[in-house]
Parts: sequence; C-alpha cells; structure tokens
Amino acid sequence: MIIKHGWKLLGVVILIYTFIVGLLVPLKSGILEVSPQSVQPGRNISFRVLGYNTHYLSGEIRAWLKMDEEYTLASSQILIQNDRELKVIFGIPRFLPTADKVQDFTLLLDNEVDGAHLLPSAVFVTQDSINPAMGRLEWPPERITDLHEKEGITFPFRNILAETIRNTYFHVPMWFAMIFLFLGAVFYSGRYLRSKRSVDDFRAFTMIRVGVLFGIMGLLTGAVWAKNTWGAYWSGDIKQNMTAICLLIYMAYFVLRQAYEDPDQRARIASVYALFAFAAMIPLLFVIPRLTDSLHPGNGGNPALGGEDLDNTMRMVFYPAIIGWFLLGLWMAQLSFRIERLKERLLENED
Amino acid sequence: MKNCATFGPHMIRMSKRIFLLAFLLTTTLFRGMAQTAPGDDFMRSMGKMYVVVTAIGIIFLGIVIFLIYLDRKLTKLENQTKHND
Repeated sequence: MIIKHGWKLLGVVILIYTFIVGLLVPLKSGILEVSPQSVQPGRNISFRVLGYNTHYLSGEIRAWLKMDEEYTLASSQILIQNDRELKVIFGIPRFLPTADKVQDFTLLLDNEVDGAHLLPSAVFVTQDSINPAMGRLEWPPERITDLHEKEGITFPFRNILAETIRNTYFHVPMWFAMIFLFLGAVFYSGRYLRSKRSVDDFRAFTMIRVGVLFGIMGLLTGAVWAKNTWGAYWSGDIKQNMTAICLLIYMAYFVLRQAYEDPDQRARIASVYALFAFAAMIPLLFVIPRLTDSLHPGNGGNPALGGEDLDNTMRMVFYPAIIGWFLLGLWMAQLSFRIERLKERLLENED
Repeated sequence: MKNCATFGPHMIRMSKRIFLLAFLLTTTLFRGMAQTAPGDDFMRSMGKMYVVVTAIGIIFLGIVIFLIYLDRKLTKLENQTKHND
C-alpha cells in the first residue's frame, strides 16, 4: 500500500515543503529606487534612496558610489528618514576619471542588520568637460572594507523581480514537469509501437494531456509574471513564441487522435506522432532560444540559470519543486489513464 | 445508447462554456485588480508579491479544471454502466 501509493504522498510532501519554504523565506535587503537618477558632477547632491526589506534605523549605515574596482566615492552625509528611506549626500568631484561623457555608478549601502546591498547603474553622471587626468586626481583613493552579510536564510533580491523571484518555484517547474511528462509519453509511445498493447498508448495519451495542461499553466503564469516585470503579457520573446508553437504541435496530437475511428490505427498513428512532436520540441525549446536574444534568463548564449537569479538557497527549493510538481503531474496522468482504461474495458464488455 | 449520442455535443458545448468563463474571469479579474488599486499598482504593491499569488492561483485553477474534466469523464462511464445493467 505504502510502496504503491508512496510516490503520490512524496510528491505532496515535497510540494508542501516548497510552498512553505518558497513563500516564507525572506528576501535579502535591496534598493528599490534612487532619485535623482541623472546628475552632473561638481556639486553636492542629495539622493533619496528607497530600500526593500531594510532596517536603516538600526545601526550605522555607510554608502558608496562605485564606478569600478578602482574608483569609489564615499558619501559625505546620510540622513535616515525611516527604516526604508534614506537621504544620502555625495559630493561628486568636478571631473570623472573616465573619458566617457556618461558614466553609470552602482550605489552600495552597508549596515550590520541588512548586510551590503547595492543597485547597479543607480546613478548616471553626465560630464560636460571631459578630463580623465584631472578626474583621477580628484577621486580620492577609497577602500571599501568590512562589509557585512545579512544573517539567516534568504533569497536574493533582484531589483525588477523583487518577490516574484519566488515564481521560480511555480512557473519554472511547470515546464520541467511538462518536459518530463512528454518524455514519459515518448517512452510509452515507443513501447506501444513494439508491444501493440493499448494500455501503453493510453499512458502516453494521458501524459501528453497533463503535459499540455502544465504547459498552458506555464504560459499563463509566465504571462502574468512578464506583465509585471517585462511590461507586457506577451512581448514576442523567442522562448514565449517557441513554447506556443510547441504547445500547438502537442495540441494537434489530440486532433489527430479524434480523426481515427479504429482504435489500433489511432494508437499507432498517435504514437508515431508523439515521437515526432518530442523531436520537434527539442530545437524549439532548447536550441532556438539560445541562438538569439531572449528576455528569459539562461538564454542567448548562456546555457544555464545561475548567479543572482538562482543561488544555492534557491536551489534547495527549486530542485524539490521540480520533483514535486512532476510527481503531481504523474498522479494526474495516472488518474486520467485509469479512466481511459476503464472506458476501454467497458467498451469490450459491450461487444 | 441513443441518449449518449445526444449527450456528446452537449458536453462539448458545456466544456467550451466553462473554459470561456474561466478565461473571461481570469482576464477581467486581473485587469480590474490592476486598475482599482489606489496609488501604486495593486499587482506591483508589496514587492510584487501578488504576481506570485496570481501564479499559484492559475495553477490551482488549472488543477481544478482538470478535476472537473475527470469528474465528467467518470460520470459518463457511470451512466454507461447503468445502461449495461
């Protein structure tokens, strides 16, 4: 009993774990907004900084504008407004140590509770008169030392993503589960072509059915995510388009099944189609999106997620989430399969 | 058996209606939520947490739709066995 049904329980337990940990672990501290974004050199400028998950009231804060490893500017004064808001004043020298007209700076903040947190390209400085030699003289050598690290288990803070980084445990595993289910369908389709047992065909059929459902859920969750991070539900991203095509190919599988009256013929044609559909999916999802630019991370040359998008803490939830959603999908496919098998038996009894 | 023949198209119409309803519900609901929020966009408030909530809601809805689908298939089979008896 436990062995027979244990995997379903395992899937549910894993999913409960991913829901609890994935939703409750806090994000690291971060900087949401810095204004003004665009300034000119040679004056004292007061920047309004809006933090996220920050505790500015507790402990000493330090702030830097960082150009590169070499040139960094410490703030002259920091006024704490509240836990999430600061006024940071920088005296920016007249010349920048660069020949570029516009130079972007990273804002780096550090305190004991929140640890070091930064916003890349937070401030753009536009200089009218360019003099790198003078700039190098005017920028005092500054060393950033003794940075703190936030304690406890946290997920990374990404400026545009914020809390939606948690969608990694819901949107992304949909695709993994879909691919594994389609892979299962390939296995059973292949087995049908050798064994000619209708149960194998039903297994493949129901796995594709649940796989397509997962794909649709993946597209919808992705669309909502995209609307609030990329700005549009559908921005014609290469991966969005290719997945839509892939899903259409798999939807045609159901149409194809409808077209045949004879069960043996239907199963044979459908099995062959399932093999071809999977073969078509591989370039659509794994090759083409990597050849061009994509809004999706891990595309456009870079083969994998990593760095700040998926750190080791996130992996502790992300990998179980994939297994959990896949097992749930398998369970759904199995229920569907048992109904199909029952239907066939009833038809046989009628004859 | 004749009963079953008339049952088919009706069920298809029903499923189409349910799908349409679910689609309309989700799209209008989200649009409404986004517009009625005061000041900051509702979906983007609280560090965009509601985007995650919506994603989970979509998945939940997808599983429920699948359950309805299975339920109807089973009902059909149950009706068939009644005919046989």
